[in-house]
Amino acid sequence: MSLLLQIIVNGILLGGLYALMALGLALVWGVLNIVNLAHGAFIMLGAYVSYYLFTLLHVDPFAALPLCMLSLFALGYLLQRNVLNLLVRAPMFNTLLITFGIDVVLTYLAQIVFSADFRVVNPSYAGSNFTLLGATVPLVRALAFAIALGLTVTVWLVLAHTRLGRAVRACAQNLLAARLYGVEPRTVYALTFGLGAALAGAAGNLYGVVSQINPYIGDALTAKSFAISIIGGLDNPLGVVVGGLFLGTLESLTSLYVGSTYSDVASFGVLVLVLILRPKGLLGRTT
Amino acid sequence: MKRLLFFAIAAFALLDHALAQQTITLGASVQETGRLANTGRYYRDGYEFAVQTINERGGVKVGNEHYRLDLKILDNQSDVNLSVRQYTQLLTQDKVNFLLGPFASDFALADSSAAEKYEVPMIQGGGASDQIFSRGYKYIFGTLPVASKYFDSTVQAMSKFDPVPKSVALLYADDAFDVAVAKGAREQLQAGGFRVTQDERYSSNSSDFSSLISQIKAAAPDAVLVAGHETEVLNFIRQAKSLDFNPKLYSFTVGVPTADFRLALGRDANFAYGMTSWLPSPALKDDYFTNAQVFAESYQKRFGYEPDYHAASAVADVEAFVKAIEAAGTLDPKKVRDAIAQVDFESLYGRIQFGAVGQINLPQTVVQVYNDAVVPIYGQKGFLNKPRYPMPAWDKRP
Repeated sequence: MSLLLQIIVNGILLGGLYALMALGLALVWGVLNIVNLAHGAFIMLGAYVSYYLFTLLHVDPFAALPLCMLSLFALGYLLQRNVLNLLVRAPMFNTLLITFGIDVVLTYLAQIVFSADFRVVNPSYAGSNFTLLGATVPLVRALAFAIALGLTVTVWLVLAHTRLGRAVRACAQNLLAARLYGVEPRTVYALTFGLGAALAGAAGNLYGVVSQINPYIGDALTAKSFAISIIGGLDNPLGVVVGGLFLGTLESLTSLYVGSTYSDVASFGVLVLVLILRPKGLLGRTT
Repeated sequence: MKRLLFFAIAAFALLDHALAQQTITLGASVQETGRLANTGRYYRDGYEFAVQTINERGGVKVGNEHYRLDLKILDNQSDVNLSVRQYTQLLTQDKVNFLLGPFASDFALADSSAAEKYEVPMIQGGGASDQIFSRGYKYIFGTLPVASKYFDSTVQAMSKFDPVPKSVALLYADDAFDVAVAKGAREQLQAGGFRVTQDERYSSNSSDFSSLISQIKAAAPDAVLVAGHETEVLNFIRQAKSLDFNPKLYSFTVGVPTADFRLALGRDANFAYGMTSWLPSPALKDDYFTNAQVFAESYQKRFGYEPDYHAASAVADVEAFVKAIEAAGTLDPKKVRDAIAQVDFESLYGRIQFGAVGQINLPQTVVQVYNDAVVPIYGQKGFLNKPRYPMPAWDKRP
């Protein structure tokens, strides 16, 4: 019985990591209708920022979180303002193409600058764990889960209760009306995309502590984030938490009861089911 | 005046042609970028180093003529399909003389078909899977020892440890190499009388082993054998630490002997067992590099990182071609192919001799990491050093 508990705990913590990764993608997609295929590349860059801060300046990854987020925010803002803005009213396919292009450029630039050697961020507490109800809980994953929740709630509060949040939602709902109310869409879009990149940076920051970093980790993470965003639904930022938890737990249980090689089958199978039965996601509005 | 000029030019052209050195071109498609680039570079650098050194030492003698070696390397971006297309291009458009292999069994498996189709021999040092050599192909040779025998020396060593581990968990990735390793390991474990608690296959490139580790932890085997690639091994160890999993020993097919591994894990790498078919020992003499130790030092100086068996294997491939071409006395692919099957010489990598199906037969030495050093533990002649066994629990490590 305690094996099952451990597996479920693993699944929940994995889900927390997944949620953190998917948050930025879901925000940008839900609000700006841009599917950012370079999302994984942003996570990868955030991971490298964290790695170099840790290795060269001995900055603890959790302390480096704001720095990571800020640097990725700047990158995202500049990219949106100068590159993606040109395509904001273009067909969806064009944004897919251009973000794909950005993904390739960032990945291979990272290969040239950082080399393909894999890196890890190994602070002294990287392997620490504590016991809860008989299950071993890795410390870093528990903290990542807490950060994911914290960031999601913050994003939700910002969108719901601040001027900027209202402006962002207004642009998403009715661009013309928003402009009539004095909202400057270019700034709003750039800020939102920057925020999405910052969230990816936060995920990347912790990624190096739980896994390893190399220029090619982006694609798999984009695919995972994509699936989670769809499963959770794009209408509500809490959707990624639900989607992440669901997927993490499902993969862990599949590994226990069916076999480890079937986790991907299970996750993408669920994705297909969700698209058929509840296309707006588990937390999406059904109207 | 014009006639003089014409004759002068013609004379120069003839002279130039006579003096132009003849070259033998070796073609390869290597993972210079992409997720396998971290290991692919050993092959690119190994091939370059070998070709350069052999040329400096006089090149290749074919009959009465001297040839230079030339290298044409393409980057397959860690994509198998691209790799196959590149080998086809090397053969049909670039018309290289012979082929050197890529890294990884999955690649060697697919690329060897191109060599077989065009009947040009390929010597590869990156693929160990038995599958590569079980199709009756005549034009593929390999300098990595048989995958299914990888864990042989480890299992033998385990049966001599005190106290003998009774139960073993076996984990393997689902690529050609690791499946072959597991098949052999399974047989060895059964023959050795070990109880196998888990025999689990996982997806290649998994980054999350929490569920697997939790399941293995619940079964509490004495030993864990993992057949996977470097990044998977790294993730496994880190997650084993964070889930407080403490087997008496764990052994991994790749990663353990390389410097990156120790750098990435720091002290967490201690006590991990691995295996290598090559150690930079001065006892391995070589016609071009003096010996393996000298090779390792000059390789590190030139490329800035330590070589491991991948690089040595790559160099052995080039040397095998040189020996075979010189023995055959011709550049005809079929005759060279027959000569390769007959080579038998000592090199910095060990004794190069291909078995009946084209694969080399080298024993694996069991090694263990301790304090940033790779300690050879068990070889063909028995124990070389005392193993640090059993592995202390994570919170009790020095």
